[in-house]
Amino acid sequence: MTAMLAVENVVQQYPGVRALKGVSLSLDEGRILALVGENGAGKSTLIRILAGIEQPVEGTLRLRGEIRRLTNSAESQAAGISVVSQEFRLVPQLSIADNIMLGHELRTAGVVRARGTRARVRELLSTLGLDLNPDRLVSSLTTGDQQMVEIARALSRDFEVLIMDEPTAALNRAEIARLHGIVRRLAAQGKTIMYVSHHLDEVFDLCDEVAVLRDGSLVHRSSTSELNEQTLIEHMLGRKPQVFGRADGAATANDARLVVDGLCIGGFEEPFSLAVGTGEIVGLAGLAGSGRGELTRALFGDRAVLAGSISIDGETVQVRSVPTAIRAGIYMLSEDRKSEGILPHLDVTENMMVSRDTKSVSWWHRLAPSRREEGDLFEELHRELRIRVPNGRHLIGNLSGGNQQKVLLGRALQSGCRVLLLNEPTRGVDVGAKLEIYQLIRRLATQGVAVIVSSSDAPELTAISDRCLVYLSGRQTAELVGSDITEDNIVGASVGQIAVGGTHG
Amino acid sequence: MVNAPQLLQVDVVTSAEQERRESARRGDRAARRQSILQKLGIIIPFVLVLLAGIVLVPSFLSASNITNMLVDGAILAITAYGMTMVIALRGIDLSVGSTQAVVACVAAVSVNAWGILPGILAGIAAAIILGLVNGLIVTTFRVPAFIATLATLGIFRGIALLFTGGAPIMITDSAFRSIATSSIFGIPVPFIVAVLVGAGFWFVLDRMRFGKHVVAVGGSPESATDSGIKVKRIELIAYVVAAAAAGVAGLLLASQLGSVNGSLSSGLELQAIAVVVLGGTSMAGGRGNIIGTFLASLLLAMINAGLNLLNVPSFYQYIALGMLLVFALSLDSAQRAAVRRVFEGRVA
Repeated sequence: MTAMLAVENVVQQYPGVRALKGVSLSLDEGRILALVGENGAGKSTLIRILAGIEQPVEGTLRLRGEIRRLTNSAESQAAGISVVSQEFRLVPQLSIADNIMLGHELRTAGVVRARGTRARVRELLSTLGLDLNPDRLVSSLTTGDQQMVEIARALSRDFEVLIMDEPTAALNRAEIARLHGIVRRLAAQGKTIMYVSHHLDEVFDLCDEVAVLRDGSLVHRSSTSELNEQTLIEHMLGRKPQVFGRADGAATANDARLVVDGLCIGGFEEPFSLAVGTGEIVGLAGLAGSGRGELTRALFGDRAVLAGSISIDGETVQVRSVPTAIRAGIYMLSEDRKSEGILPHLDVTENMMVSRDTKSVSWWHRLAPSRREEGDLFEELHRELRIRVPNGRHLIGNLSGGNQQKVLLGRALQSGCRVLLLNEPTRGVDVGAKLEIYQLIRRLATQGVAVIVSSSDAPELTAISDRCLVYLSGRQTAELVGSDITEDNIVGASVGQIAVGGTHG
Repeated sequence: MVNAPQLLQVDVVTSAEQERRESARRGDRAARRQSILQKLGIIIPFVLVLLAGIVLVPSFLSASNITNMLVDGAILAITAYGMTMVIALRGIDLSVGSTQAVVACVAAVSVNAWGILPGILAGIAAAIILGLVNGLIVTTFRVPAFIATLATLGIFRGIALLFTGGAPIMITDSAFRSIATSSIFGIPVPFIVAVLVGAGFWFVLDRMRFGKHVVAVGGSPESATDSGIKVKRIELIAYVVAAAAAGVAGLLLASQLGSVNGSLSSGLELQAIAVVVLGGTSMAGGRGNIIGTFLASLLLAMINAGLNLLNVPSFYQYIALGMLLVFALSLDSAQRAAVRRVFEGRVA
């Protein structure tokens, strides 16, 4: 039997990263294949190739045995591949109905058939168990509903192959159960399904087969019945996760450096409260919509705070804007390094000095920075942070993700911060540089900085955090300490299925 | 995990349901607030200026002044419809004034040489060619729309001046000249044309597939690409349509004036952009508001006519227009901020 869809020896490269190293994978008709792997293993790249958004450097793609080239998403859709992408591809200014039918509108001579569209969309939404007005604008929906609309959109096309990239990340249990029912029904109708998920229970519950990607290679494929969770995790990790030397005698809350009390952020019902000690690294975990990203932005003055207080070293600080936050000793690095971190047209020295605390600098050099002085300072940090760059006049845009991140950590250092907020600090960073960045973060902490690491990468949080707070829809579901910080506990608590209570373990 | 001290059952479903209802409420409120701001943004100034005109300006409601305002407003509105579509796509067309000059001059010469119908067709053909030039520069050569149309603003103006040799062209055909000045059932023909063209634009943008694609490309270009929409084709069509609209307005203008020259309609882009933004179309792209554009064009015509009747030097009209543009743009930003506030909860 020829496979419905197959890729052979697909290689994909980005500057500095080999995302896929010759992957061959086939999907059979009427089967549900789970694709699992850690973040950065290449799942999303593979999906983007199948969706026609990216073209592989090498390798072929076969549809029912025939070699096909998909050069854009229209071709992929025409070939019968429908994708639920992880990041939403919705147009906020259009209604739910228009979004779902975008690109394949029901029409007569170019005129959209409004009534037919509405009926079709209502029918689709009701199979998904959604009671939404099709005329509502997408910009007014919650993340969960947007996710459902995204799914409805994929189902509205004619397709043979359905690819779902973490479709349940923003859904609640009832919705997940309903979605599983639909996926099973589609498979029974002979559709081919590829299901990407981080939730292993889902994989065993729903899927016939499982394929594991690790570091851009396919390392395992078998039917789910031949595996259990333990062996699957071993395949995903390839080995025991490298435990980074964690200081077990974590800082006590006595010398709390940052205390956040009852912080209300728009869009979240419950206030956020937490404390971070001097030299402590606190991890924040949670899925989309958990509020951890919004929390760090609020602490950095980049999002409105409705109520509550923030204090540093016992002193209450008012964080109304980013400059006041920096003056108060808070610094944040965004998860979107490319557009919110680096200044691509400036060199590494300038990038590092841009938020510099200028108290010790003469007024003249504040206006016209001394190149020599900054150069010397850079050389010092260059060695200390082990940035791989020949000299300080190099443009930051040409560096690898890991080295860019080190420069940004240097920037945070130069701001003289006492509280450092890191969002996805090693996203897009290769494995070697990852460990160096962990060591740097740890060194910053030992120098007394209170560090908050917000990350979707559970192994990362287990590796570096002294304490890990897990959020779900703006509510803290677990506070993990010491040996309780495991991938299982983090993932469990972030979907609310297992809530581990108490610091008194 | 197994020896976790206590297991809490978090009632995820209920809280999600609650959150969902709450968000639906918030979303409705945001949409309502935005639509009110969008409507008030044009209706309030419109009514205020109308009332001020009636009270303060002598003979504001005279038949000749009303006809004047309707014709001027109509000619501006037709240009601005095209601009609305381009701005909805996150683009801009600064060359509309120069395009209009070329079209008017080509049409004038052609009407004199071959008669009324060939003249009109030649004018429209010229507009389409200029629109294709703009569209190709933006889509094929990937020049940002602002720069591309700034360049063609100069180029087309130069062509118009070269074509006429700097001298005015008198239009001899009286049938052509009577188009803009005649009326049907007492309504000036240009106004009827503006209403019909506007209805066409509204239908295309609001009811047709093309219009949905315009909103998609302007609102979220990545989503549009991923949905298999041919983004470049949409953009190309929009620039051609914008030029054609400017061209139709140019024909009416030529008919109204009876004599055209190469420097006709300079500075028109400022007026067109001002009425589009005042009409409620966001410079950030997304949904175009044709009815708003129409009303805003009439508003600007009322302001200009009022100032003329009050014998205010025409220099002040530039200042009024500039201030109107600032007002419109700040309203546009305020609108988006209002929506954001509802979601982030800065205002209860």
